[in-house]
Amino acid sequence: MPLLWLILIVLGIAVAGFVLGRGRALKSAGGDARNLHSLPGYYGNNVAIKVIVPSMLVMLVWLVVQPLVIDGSVSATIPEGAVPENSSLGLVMSEVRRTAEGLENAVAAGGMSQALATDPDADFAEVSQQLQDAGQVVTSQLTQAVLRAAQDYREMHVFGRTIMSGVVLVLALAGLAWGLRESHKAFRARNTVEMSIRALLIAAASIAILTTIGIVLSLIFNTIEFFKLYPAADFFFGTTWSPSFSGRGGSSELGVLPLLWGTFYISIVALIVAVPIGLFSAIYLSEYASPRVRSVAKPMLEILAGIPTIVYGLFALLTVGPLLLSVFGKDGLGWMQAGTAVMTAGLVMGIMLIPFVSSLSDDIINAVPQSMRDGSYGLGATQSETIKQVILPAALPGIVGAILLAASRAIGETMIVVLGAGAAAKLSLNPFEAMTTVTAKIVSQLTGDADFSSPEALVAFALGMTLFVLTLGLNVLALYIVRKYREQYE
Amino acid sequence: MYDAPLRKTDVETKNTKIVAQDVNVYYGDTHAIKDVSVDLLDKTVTAFIGPSGCGKSTFLRCLNRMNDTIDICRVEGKISLDGEDIYDKRVDPVQLRAKVGMVFQKPNPFPKSIYDNVAYGPKIHGLAKNKADLDDIVEKALRRGAIWDEVKDRLHAPGTGLSGGQQQRLCIARAVATEPEVLLMDEPCSALDPIATGQVEELIDELRGQYSVIIVTHSMQQAARVSQKTAFFHLGNLVEYGDTSQIFTNPEDSRTESYITGRIG
Repeated sequence: MPLLWLILIVLGIAVAGFVLGRGRALKSAGGDARNLHSLPGYYGNNVAIKVIVPSMLVMLVWLVVQPLVIDGSVSATIPEGAVPENSSLGLVMSEVRRTAEGLENAVAAGGMSQALATDPDADFAEVSQQLQDAGQVVTSQLTQAVLRAAQDYREMHVFGRTIMSGVVLVLALAGLAWGLRESHKAFRARNTVEMSIRALLIAAASIAILTTIGIVLSLIFNTIEFFKLYPAADFFFGTTWSPSFSGRGGSSELGVLPLLWGTFYISIVALIVAVPIGLFSAIYLSEYASPRVRSVAKPMLEILAGIPTIVYGLFALLTVGPLLLSVFGKDGLGWMQAGTAVMTAGLVMGIMLIPFVSSLSDDIINAVPQSMRDGSYGLGATQSETIKQVILPAALPGIVGAILLAASRAIGETMIVVLGAGAAAKLSLNPFEAMTTVTAKIVSQLTGDADFSSPEALVAFALGMTLFVLTLGLNVLALYIVRKYREQYE
Repeated sequence: MYDAPLRKTDVETKNTKIVAQDVNVYYGDTHAIKDVSVDLLDKTVTAFIGPSGCGKSTFLRCLNRMNDTIDICRVEGKISLDGEDIYDKRVDPVQLRAKVGMVFQKPNPFPKSIYDNVAYGPKIHGLAKNKADLDDIVEKALRRGAIWDEVKDRLHAPGTGLSGGQQQRLCIARAVATEPEVLLMDEPCSALDPIATGQVEELIDELRGQYSVIIVTHSMQQAARVSQKTAFFHLGNLVEYGDTSQIFTNPEDSRTESYITGRIG
C-alpha cells in the first residue's frame, strides 16, 4: 500500500472518530451539551488525537528504522568477493538499493514481469537490459550477487511495508476504540486536548534545540578530526594561510590568524560606518521626527535590511570598489591596488548594518519611559541635553546590545566579503589592501571537489567552529549586558 | 464663565505670580480647557481639584509650556509670569521651565546617582561656579527636599534604588535645585503610601515659604491640608476659585458642593 494511501486512511479514521466521539459524548449527556464536562468538539478531538498520534508515530519510526535493518541484513548476504577491488561495501550497497528501486519501478511501469524481477536465477544481463529499456538508471553492469541482493532487498522492503501498514491501521483502530470508550459525559476531554497541545509545542521546541545541538556536535566532531590531522597550535597561531589541494596535508599552511585579522578589520570598518549613522538616525527618528516623517522614513530604512547580501556584494564589486579605486588608486593617492579591499567590503557591510543598529536602537530609545523626558524637560533641559544626558544613558545597555548583535552579523557575513574584499589572506594594516575573512575561506575550501578526509577540507569545520564560538560569545555578552542593566532603569 | 473674586486678606499680603486670561487648550479636536482665567499667588500653595479628565493637569502643564512637547496640543489665550507673556515668541520655553519647575505624578528619577540627579539642573543651567559650589547646591536642595539625612551617606548610589516616597522627595529636591520661582506638582502623592504622602505634604508646606506651589490632586483631604487657595475644575471649565477654607466649607457653586460632598466625580 502506498504511503499516501495509508496516511489518508488514518486521517479518514480520525475524521470518523471525531464525528463518532462527538456524537457518543452528546448521546451520553442526553443530547444536551450543557451536561458534558467539555464542549462536544473536545470529545471528537480526543478521539482523533488517539487515532492519529500513536499510529503516525509508529509509522515515522518504522520508516526510519526499516531501511537500516534491511541494509544490515542484506549487506551481510553479499559475499566478500562481490565487492570489487577499488570499491567498498557501501558503494555496492547503494548499487543494490538503486537496482531494487529500478526493479520496483520497472515492474510498476509494466516494463518487466513480476516473475523475472523476483526470479533469483534470472539472467542478470537480461535484467539490466530490461531495466535500461524501462528507463531505470543502472550505472554499471549488474552482477549476480548484486541482483540477488537487490531482489532480497526488494522483497524485504515490500514485506516490511506491508507489515507496517497493518500495524499502523491496527493502531489507528485501537486508538479509535480507546477514544470512543472514553467519550462519556464525565470524561475530561478538554484537559486531554490541552495536554496534547502542550506536548505538540514541547516537541516543536525540542526539535529546534536538538537541531542546534546536532549542528554543534557535527562541527565539534569534524573539528576534532581536523586537529588529528593538523596541529592545533599551528592552526591557532599560524600566520600564513596557504592551503594546497595537492592532497598531501603536510604542504598546506593553515594558520587562522590572517583570516581572523581580516574578519576583525572588515567588521571594525563596518561598525565604524554603521554605529554612528545608525544611532544618529535612530535618535532622529525616535526623538525629533514628526509621526509622518517617521512613518515614511522607518520603513524606508528597514528596506535596507531586506536587500539580499549578494546584492550588496555586487554593489561593492561594481560601484564602491571602482569609486574608491578612482580616489585612492593609481590615478589618485596610489594606496589602492584593486577595487577589492578591506575598505570596500567594510563600507558596504556598514551600510548593510545601518538598519540593524538603527532599528534596534530606535526600539530601545522608544522604550525609555516618557516620564524621563518629562522630568528632564521640566527642569529646563533642551532636547539634545535630554537625549545626551538622560535618554542615551538609560538606553545604553540596549544600544550596546544592538551594536554587539550587529558585530556578530558583520563577523558572520560572507557574500559581501567574497565579492568585495578579495581572496588574499594577509596580515596587513593597510585598509586599502585586499584581505579575506573566515567565512569567505570556508566557502572557498568547500566549493569544488572537496575530499572530506583531507585537512584542507576539514579546516572549514575548524574555521566554522572558531566563528561559532566568537559570535556565540558576542551574543552572550550582548544578552548579559542587556539583562544586567535593564531592571536598573525600569 | 465664573471668575472668582480674590479674598481681600490674601491680596493684601501676597503678590500675584501667574495670571491666566481666557486660556483655551485643544488636543486635536478635543476642547480640553475652556476660557480659564485665574490669578495664582506667590508664596502660596494653590490646589487644583476636580474629577478625572477635567483638565486640571492640562492646565498645569500650560504653566510651564510642557504641552509644547505634545504635537497635537494647541494653547490659546494669555498666560503671564510676573507680567511677561510666557507664550510670547521671544520666550525660550527651556528658560521658562527652569523658572517654573515641575514634579510629576510618578517619581521619575533619572538612571543616575542621587547626586547626579540633583546636580542635573544646576549643571545644564550653569548655576555652579565649581565642584564645591555644586556640592553645596546639591546638599541644600536635598535638605530642602527633606531627604538629606536619608541619602547623605550614599549620594553616589543610583536614584532608582530609593523607595517610592524617597524617590518622589528626590524629584522635588531635583526640581528645587534649579532655584525655580514656581513649583508645579502633578498629583505628586498618588503613587505613594500614606507615610510618604505625609512627608511630601509636610515638605510642600515648608516650600511655601519660598515658592509659589501649584498642586494637582485627587484627594480633597490633601487639598484641604496643604493648600491656601483651591481651584475646582469641571469638564474643562474653572468652576470656582477661592480660599481653601471657603471652598471646602461654603462653596458658592452647586457643582463644587456636589464634588466636595462626593455626589459627582
